[in-house]
Amino acid sequence: MIRVIAAAAVVALFADDYLLRFLAEILLFGVAVMSLDILIGFGGLMSLGHAALFGGAAYAAAIVARQWGGDLVLMLGTGMATGLVLAAVMGVVVLRSGQLFLLIMTLLLAQMLWEVAFHWRDVTGGADGLRGLPALSLGPWALSGARALFLVAVPLAVVAFLVARSFIAAPIGRALVGTREEPIRMTALGYSLFAVRFRAMMVAGAMAGAAGALLPFVNQYVGPQSVHWTLSATLVIMLVIGGIGSLWGGFIGSAVYLGIQTYLSAYTDRWQLLVGLVFVLTVLLLPNGVAGGVRRWRS
Amino acid sequence: MKLPHQRLTRRLALGGLAATTLAAPARAQARPLKIGMITSLSGPFAALGESMRGGMRLLLTQSGERFADRPVELIVEDDQARPDDGVRKARKLIGQDRVDLLCGVIHSGVALALRDVVTEARMPTFLLGSANDLARRAASPFILRPTKTNWMLGSTAAQRTHQTHPGARVVTAASDYAAGREFVGDFATTYQGLGGRIGRQFWTPLGTPDFGPLLTAIAAERPDSVYVFFAGSDAVRFLRQWKEYRLAGRIRLMATGACFDQEDVLPAVGDAALGGINTFHQSPTAPSSAAFVEAWGATGKGLPGEFSTTGYVCGQVIRTATERSGGNPTDWPRTQQALFDAPVETAFGRMPFDPRNGQAILDIHVNEVRAVDGAMVNTVVYTFPQIRDPGPDA
Repeated sequence: MIRVIAAAAVVALFADDYLLRFLAEILLFGVAVMSLDILIGFGGLMSLGHAALFGGAAYAAAIVARQWGGDLVLMLGTGMATGLVLAAVMGVVVLRSGQLFLLIMTLLLAQMLWEVAFHWRDVTGGADGLRGLPALSLGPWALSGARALFLVAVPLAVVAFLVARSFIAAPIGRALVGTREEPIRMTALGYSLFAVRFRAMMVAGAMAGAAGALLPFVNQYVGPQSVHWTLSATLVIMLVIGGIGSLWGGFIGSAVYLGIQTYLSAYTDRWQLLVGLVFVLTVLLLPNGVAGGVRRWRS
Repeated sequence: MKLPHQRLTRRLALGGLAATTLAAPARAQARPLKIGMITSLSGPFAALGESMRGGMRLLLTQSGERFADRPVELIVEDDQARPDDGVRKARKLIGQDRVDLLCGVIHSGVALALRDVVTEARMPTFLLGSANDLARRAASPFILRPTKTNWMLGSTAAQRTHQTHPGARVVTAASDYAAGREFVGDFATTYQGLGGRIGRQFWTPLGTPDFGPLLTAIAAERPDSVYVFFAGSDAVRFLRQWKEYRLAGRIRLMATGACFDQEDVLPAVGDAALGGINTFHQSPTAPSSAAFVEAWGATGKGLPGEFSTTGYVCGQVIRTATERSGGNPTDWPRTQQALFDAPVETAFGRMPFDPRNGQAILDIHVNEVRAVDGAMVNTVVYTFPQIRDPGPDA
């Protein structure tokens, strides 16, 4: 942990604005991927609607910020509340089903949110999205620069990681893994599958919501793309590359994906092919993602 | 206790090294003018983005890769027609590649998303999206717009209808997204302002596979004229079905230029487009674009459409900006003033810039699709000279 903080401090001191903002974005996406990992990796709940939680919180934060200013606490609160509410709605609707139905139901619900974001022009800006956001602030301090955003994203990522780790290590997390592996036995042991999964969903929602709330301030923009199902799919791809079942793999996955997209696309128009190749190679050679590979290599 | 400390310092050193090398700006002996272009090379507008890049490349080749004796380096980035990705690419061009100027963008959403980013970074930008807001509430002192706004096409289409068919009852049909809403909204407002009658307004989702129901509904309305906005594959499908449903020739069809784009649409629909009227800032038969049309044709690509011309014109404006600022267009107030002081001669015609919002003032042509040697060609039949967006007054 000290090493992480030291590394972050060094980066914050030496990296330029562009890199800091890019790293902040990687961290925010990483938190979203990590929260998705709780569902997919530990709960076996394959969701294609995670962008609704992440992007929905981004919209909520942007709308609130335009009204009442970009206070960090207010933003995180708004984001987490939105994530919780959306996750609760999604949980109630989808968690009675499983497997393919769950996948389709999450996809449908998320697309409904996209429809709302796309058509409710007065509130969400429609296809144009929302811009002209105030700067993020904490009390009297404005957190507008890239360095400030990075320094907000790092503790958020660290706290989210610690929360996720302790959730997984706690009895509820073990029970979640149990519902994935042996649902019938878990029911026989007296666990309610729904209750366990619903709680996992809520934690994931709050986490994705907190990260999503900061996204508009990194991009200075939020648009319907951020609640579209293709972003959900991107999050899943990041998760697979990083490593399903490894919490910090989420950060690796988002770094690899965004890195390829941002850096290699200058050299080739076919960068998506490259993402595909990385994806296939990951599945073939590193079934547990980069994180799994690193773990195997270490041991 | 000792081991972790050693590892910590090694990491520190490595991290610091990596951070400083990444942060070090690119230094060169004779500094070329770096131009960053953001356009859509994948996603729904891939063909248009390819054309835009082609137009810009043609101009660079013609200029010997030098503007005002300064070598020019063009870096093109793909936004996938997605605002978030466009923002990330803009940051990369500004922060990492350290470009001197930014240009490009097809998707209005991307253009609006970039507005705050380039304004905060104080990055001189030639922004090519066409949402009205870019010339109005979202205008920025760091953005010049050497292209149309949607209002310019919608309102001139209404004026033309009023000129040739006064009193005609017009129904409208358009793709249901931001651009469609603006084109049709501006058409309807202007037309009603001139005393015209607007019938029903139809909206179809972007990427409609079958226009049959829409066409039957239009036929049932029996209007004098239809005003439509569809682009790309939507336009192709709409025009083909327009002919199949035998509405061609019975109802007067008026559209925005994109619906009859010379490069993107006309080769794919053939004579189904014959007789279509459209208002556009681009036409292969406009006298101002003759030289460009010939040069473009010499590359073996046929007649140019909107976005190849737009890319070329953007290059022309940047070249002029470089010349007028003595090879240093990044001296932005001076460059801007030089462009405001005198119009630029471009393939879109004589182009003055409106000092209020940096928006180009353009000739808008009324094109009729005619058969020339078996090919469908947008032929200029009338020109609205020097149309200026109402800008902040709107």
